[in-house]
Amino acid sequence: MAKQYRSIGEEVWKNKVEKVNAELFIFTYGSLVVQLIKDYEDYHSVNKQLDKLGYNIGVRLIDDILSRTNLEKCKDMRETAEVISKIGFRMFLNIAPSVSAWSADSKEFSLILDDNPLNDFCELPPRAVQGGLWYSNVLCGVVRGALEMVGLLVKVEFVRDVVRGDEVSEIRVRLEKVLDEEVPVGDD
Amino acid sequence: MTIIYNIYIFDRHCECIFYTEWASQNSPLTARSGQSADAATAQTTARGASSDAQDRRSLDQPRPTVWPSSANSTHGSLQRNLPMEEHAKLVYGVAFSTRNIVNKLAGKDGPQGGNPGGFMSFATNTYRMHYYESPTGVKFILNTDPGTTSMQQVLEMIYRNIYVEYVTKNPLFNPNPAKSTPIENDYFRA
Repeated sequence: MAKQYRSIGEEVWKNKVEKVNAELFIFTYGSLVVQLIKDYEDYHSVNKQLDKLGYNIGVRLIDDILSRTNLEKCKDMRETAEVISKIGFRMFLNIAPSVSAWSADSKEFSLILDDNPLNDFCELPPRAVQGGLWYSNVLCGVVRGALEMVGLLVKVEFVRDVVRGDEVSEIRVRLEKVLDEEVPVGDD
Repeated sequence: MTIIYNIYIFDRHCECIFYTEWASQNSPLTARSGQSADAATAQTTARGASSDAQDRRSLDQPRPTVWPSSANSTHGSLQRNLPMEEHAKLVYGVAFSTRNIVNKLAGKDGPQGGNPGGFMSFATNTYRMHYYESPTGVKFILNTDPGTTSMQQVLEMIYRNIYVEYVTKNPLFNPNPAKSTPIENDYFRA
């Protein structure tokens, strides 16, 4: 299963995805974060805004992924985690985070990113680290938005981040609820 | 030769976000009172010869009207096209219920929806209705003449190449689950 997802991800990255200059993207993201910090001044609000940005991206991204690959419904969280890491991240950032730290009921897992391209030219000043800024928080929003559109309500958070001095970046994903489909409003 | 009568697109909140028709005599679009501008254009005699996009462009017809449209909705509720809304609700109900029956019979039913039972189309004497649902809950319904066998590929193509390209990638389109907005995009209509 894992091998199959990995090969699908690589194949999509090579053939079906338009690529943009990585540095352009990284610098644009960096200046976006800087501007947000200047506007909001409070690092927790910046985190929230990045998450919201990511959410809007994720909601559209999922349709993009589904249209490029013939993916079927995932049967459980483990498959979902594989798809996110091997296909989702591969398609858009060309990185392959590893999935680990499963909880006992298979509802929580961690994505370990060894090299996050968004961090490439970034150095956080000490007050940002103290203020609690998660630099790549937009990625959390993307995962949250995408999963919500396929019916999974999740909580996604950064746990560790290279930019703040840890060895690896870790994102924790927790399944809160599986959403039911909406029934049309009846004429009463 | 495949003749297409109309197409509906519903989002995951059961709202009709797009409707267009070709060659319909009793169009629900014209059943509103006192709307002359849209009534004239809705009586289009265009015939969708095939669903192939190139053929449609080369037939050089007046553009079929699209519903819903924000030009009407901004003027307040007087301009709501009630017969059209009811029509869309009925169509959605048929598709929704039939898909649920198919899922139950296939034993793959679940509250999360989707289309695990694989409901593709049904036919009557006068038309055949084709159905396609994306994993995100966007539903495409296409009515054609009864002789057509399968439009699954076509609907899938519409989803992948047209809906995703022009609708989801349009920054002005709001896929927010709280509100449903009509598809306003000229590229999409073409």
